Amino acid sequence: MAGAPVKKEPFYKALPWLSGTIVLIVGFVLWPTLELFLMSIRSIDISGVIEGWAGLENYRALIANIDLPAVLRRTVVWLVVVVGMTLAISLPLAQLMNAKFRGQKFLRYSIIIPWAASLVITATSFKWILDPYYGMMNLILKDLGIIKEDVDLLGNPSTSFIVLLVVAIFVSLPFTSYVLLAGLQSIPGEVLEAAKVDGAGAWKGYWTIIFPLLRPAFLVAAVINAVYVFNSFPIIWVMTQGGPGYETDTTTTFSYKVAFRDQDIGQSAALAVGNFIVIFIFIMLFLRLSKWREADQS
Amino acid sequence: MKKFRTRRIAAVAALGFATSFAVAAVPSQAADVTLKLVMAAYTDDMVDYYDGLSQDFENANPGIKVEVDVVAWPEIGQKVKTLIASGQSPDIVNNDEFAGEAAAGLLYRADQIVDAATLKDIIPAFMDNSKYKGTAYAVPDLASARAFFWNKEIIAAAGIKKAPKTWPEFLAAAKAIKKSSPGVYPYCLPLGPEEAQMPFTTWGGGNGARLYDEKTKKYTINTKLFKESTDFMKSLVDQKLTQPNPGKTQRTDGCWALFAKGKVGFVDGGVFLPDWLSKNGGENIDWAAGAFPHAPGKTDVTVGVQDYFKGYKAGGKQKEIQKFLTFLFQPDNYAGFLKAAGGFIPATKSAGKIAEADPIIGPYIKLLPKAIFYPGTVGSWQACKAAIVTYMGNAMSNTSKALSSIQAKCDAANKKA
Repeated sequence: MAGAPVKKEPFYKALPWLSGTIVLIVGFVLWPTLELFLMSIRSIDISGVIEGWAGLENYRALIANIDLPAVLRRTVVWLVVVVGMTLAISLPLAQLMNAKFRGQKFLRYSIIIPWAASLVITATSFKWILDPYYGMMNLILKDLGIIKEDVDLLGNPSTSFIVLLVVAIFVSLPFTSYVLLAGLQSIPGEVLEAAKVDGAGAWKGYWTIIFPLLRPAFLVAAVINAVYVFNSFPIIWVMTQGGPGYETDTTTTFSYKVAFRDQDIGQSAALAVGNFIVIFIFIMLFLRLSKWREADQS
Repeated sequence: MKKFRTRRIAAVAALGFATSFAVAAVPSQAADVTLKLVMAAYTDDMVDYYDGLSQDFENANPGIKVEVDVVAWPEIGQKVKTLIASGQSPDIVNNDEFAGEAAAGLLYRADQIVDAATLKDIIPAFMDNSKYKGTAYAVPDLASARAFFWNKEIIAAAGIKKAPKTWPEFLAAAKAIKKSSPGVYPYCLPLGPEEAQMPFTTWGGGNGARLYDEKTKKYTINTKLFKESTDFMKSLVDQKLTQPNPGKTQRTDGCWALFAKGKVGFVDGGVFLPDWLSKNGGENIDWAAGAFPHAPGKTDVTVGVQDYFKGYKAGGKQKEIQKFLTFLFQPDNYAGFLKAAGGFIPATKSAGKIAEADPIIGPYIKLLPKAIFYPGTVGSWQACKAAIVTYMGNAMSNTSKALSSIQAKCDAANKKA
């Protein structure tokens, strides 16, 4: 670092420039978070009127909720399967997008389109494709003679969650594969050439050279994806509303149903606090990773 | 088109935006008091109706301004709740619940929100359903009763001469339809979130089951009677006599839409189904309606549903509220309300007399004495209803588990309220 030494100014002089950011952070981040915590320890009646403090009563009600264990289990499956499968598919996909061939541009465009469409639209499209009476899927399967009677994959508890997983993976692919593509493109060509000269085959070159260099991008994609997937509301809500029953709820849709169907706002807030803590951990993880990456690159 | 719009709105609401179906703000000159109304959109005609009504009311009552929000059914409960919780309580609301708000002390008494003459004109049975702990806190706006509808052509093709009266007769009829009309679902069972409490209550009611015991003040859902009726529903599903996905099927855009296309033999309908069919491509369906099948040795029931007008204390505008609702109940204005709502049973004796002559509505008015009502006067009913609706979605795979879960949730809500 060359140049004249910077004179340290007192902090208050920076306030006029920081005020906008501070107002935004306090107004849109800290205050709502505080309200959420307060709500979870308040007693709120079914008309939404605050009756007083509840202590840990809402948390107790949440733990006693007979549907909570299954929802928690499902949320873990949701997170692990969607993030895991997305990464597993995105790695070769990014490799393919990085390869030079005739349809490369076309491939890149067609992968980004599901990302450009809003989740609600994508989910609605799938819902209609799978509609038992008016959907394309049943029509095609029937014409091919694969099924005889109409089936409703979303209405059947044993298949609806699987369909949701597939759709969630589908919409997560563009972002993940593009992050990985960016990672691939940042790998200098000389490194690969050097590996080749040293006699590394394609498979060995990939696992010993490319993958380790790709790791920062891989981890960032994993964490950001986990946050998105964990918070994912539109796909589940549009396609099944967490139903039939609570069979396809994750904690996110479950807390909505507890608040607005069961009309227990306090219990829903208690669950939302739990969700907040999970997200908070993810974000901390992400910040750590990006710091580590900075250090790696400098 | 209509279907698409409601779906889209449901999706938007799901994202957490408070959306209103339509907003009709009426401009006015320097007014002293503004009445804020949140009213149910029975049909799209309600917006025009309230536009005209509030204009007339403002002309007749200088100094009072009226702002009406007409809100679709799936959103209205949540909208009202959000307004109250955020300190922007409306002054008048028209929807399907009152007991919870009455218990919370938010509402004026019924005699404070309409004048004595209007109150006297309300049908007493409906007034009784508007009481919380013996005091009326709401004024019924209209009611509906349900009936079993069938497609006459499909029934005739199956060689069924008489409408089935009991469960075994119904089962035989459904099997006959399955044989004679492949591709037709003999019965459409709507256990989706829209109104699953209705088939649950009707089938149970036909077996003598009731949701709530007034004497013990307890919900009576995990009972032998409901178990039998729910198992009977399950047996229909298991024998593939219903559509494939009862737990997801909504009443209106599921079962009724299939009925309108001639793909269903029997369907749960109501006094307003004929009006709906005529507007949604089912005008050519040759239908008939009658009583729901009941268990052998029991009697048939119909389920009555009534909605309410309520006045909220928060704004302190009792006099203006009373003026407006009394104005709405004037015979001409009330007739307009019923017409815009489309095919419901009037809540007043005077309008009821006129409706008795109506070929479609008339028979239902005679059915009403047989009607069982939801325990809408119990403060925890809304939460209990939510439990029924949710668990019915999966009840057809395990009825015992669903019933015990519903009972547990309803008991918990009952204890809290």
